[in-house]
Amino acid sequence: MIAIETTQLKKSYGSVPIVKGIDLIVEKGEIFGFLGRNGAGKSTFINMLTGIIQPSSGTYSLLSVKGPNDQVKKRVGVMPDYSTLYTSLTAMEHLKYLSALSGKAAGKEWCLEVLKLVGLESDARKKVAKFSFGMKKKLGIALAIIHDPELIFLDEPTSGLDAESAIHIHKLIRGLQKRGKTIFMTSHNLAEVEKLCTRIAIMKEGEIVNSGTMDELRSFYRSTIKVKIKHSPVPKSEQMNLHQWLESAGTDIEMNDPYLTITVKDEKRIAEIIRAFQQCRADVLRVEVEEPSLEDIFLDE
Amino acid sequence: MYVIGKREFISLFKGVKSCIVIAILLLTSYYSAKFADFLMSGINLSAKEAENIHTVGLLGLLLLLGQLFIAGLSHDTINQETHERTMRFLVTRTSRTSILLGKFFGIWMFWFICLTVSFLLISIFAQKIDFFIFSQTISLVTIQISFTILLSVLIPKPGFTMFLGIVFGLAFPILGFWVVLTSNVWVSWTKFFTPFYYLEREDFSFLVIFILSGIMLFFANFIFKRREC
Repeated sequence: MIAIETTQLKKSYGSVPIVKGIDLIVEKGEIFGFLGRNGAGKSTFINMLTGIIQPSSGTYSLLSVKGPNDQVKKRVGVMPDYSTLYTSLTAMEHLKYLSALSGKAAGKEWCLEVLKLVGLESDARKKVAKFSFGMKKKLGIALAIIHDPELIFLDEPTSGLDAESAIHIHKLIRGLQKRGKTIFMTSHNLAEVEKLCTRIAIMKEGEIVNSGTMDELRSFYRSTIKVKIKHSPVPKSEQMNLHQWLESAGTDIEMNDPYLTITVKDEKRIAEIIRAFQQCRADVLRVEVEEPSLEDIFLDE
Repeated sequence: MYVIGKREFISLFKGVKSCIVIAILLLTSYYSAKFADFLMSGINLSAKEAENIHTVGLLGLLLLLGQLFIAGLSHDTINQETHERTMRFLVTRTSRTSILLGKFFGIWMFWFICLTVSFLLISIFAQKIDFFIFSQTISLVTIQISFTILLSVLIPKPGFTMFLGIVFGLAFPILGFWVVLTSNVWVSWTKFFTPFYYLEREDFSFLVIFILSGIMLFFANFIFKRREC
């Protein structure tokens, strides 16, 4: 089942293209991460899907309903970026007002339950004017889930939150996924996306430059692999031979007994290096392979 | 639509500005009705005019200052939410038409209640309720609300709609009465687009004002649907 599908979705302001024709499919039940630098067009893309702005061209569907469609909004939860809340309302009043607007008026019990989920249960009656940035962020997430939507858009859900709150939100997002919800999130926190998301798309200058699971992205970018080997002392008579062989096997070689660091292009080389040590009468005690992190991939892009 | 209308309606009763407007309406109604007999004795009025003398104060007040009052209370009904981006919570939950109509009916209901109370107050002195004048007054308020909403959609800055609300609030009655009364053919045709022309006539032509309001709301909705929030 498809939760989000876009075909050549574009947005331009005058002659300046912001989003340059995006084709994307997000399956139901996924946590989909959308990455990109500031100005890459992530928020514009989300804003088109959620009805905040109109696309210049292209089509999209949410939960198999062709957009824009006002009925499907009741099944979608949105935490927009840079939104301010109603300062004169309390957290509870926000939840009651906006849930009623979504067509599922929430009772007091359910509002308290949702506030507990985001860690705001003790601030239910407090006016939003007295909320900190982090508290407003949490309330934004509560507002996105108050009407129990099937598809949830979270634009930078943990930015500005302290580490403890961010972990709490991560647990909440995973919990939502376990309950069958689809989550489409943007983030600048690469570690967060790497940890949470089942699939990721990287956006650059209005285009998706790559997408896939973390493993798929890694294999795509695994042009070089950094290997660190801890070994027993290499006999002096073998040291020259080993070094010569290693120079043919990889680059960036650093030998500081008992460690060797080498960068290879193919993971098959790792096994050959281990065999070379054994032939030189040295034992390999530990092998550490540094996978490219999302940050490496992101910076490469 | 109902949820937004209810919130708009309730929020209009909060705040000092609303209390002042309600007080002005009620005081004008009370004193114009109370001193109606005194006015009649001093001025030569037709039978029809004499019959409606109790409501003259209220209708006159709304003709002259109604646009100013409505703009004062609701000039930022749409653009304030767009400016502060709370509109994003609304447009991601319901249709833009529902938001616009919800705002309209919330404001309209506020004025309907205020005017109904004012007319009931007048009826104590007049010993009757003039439904014709009441309907005319409601039609006037309806077009003034529609115009205020149209301005709030057209102009993104709340500060500027406040300024324009004052300018139009003061200019409209003057220009309105001028185009109705002038014999200048170059401008007199514009009278058909003002409520003053239809209110001056003592027939049901004031119903045209509701059509004009509908056209304004249609344009407001057309623009609002294309606006970024």
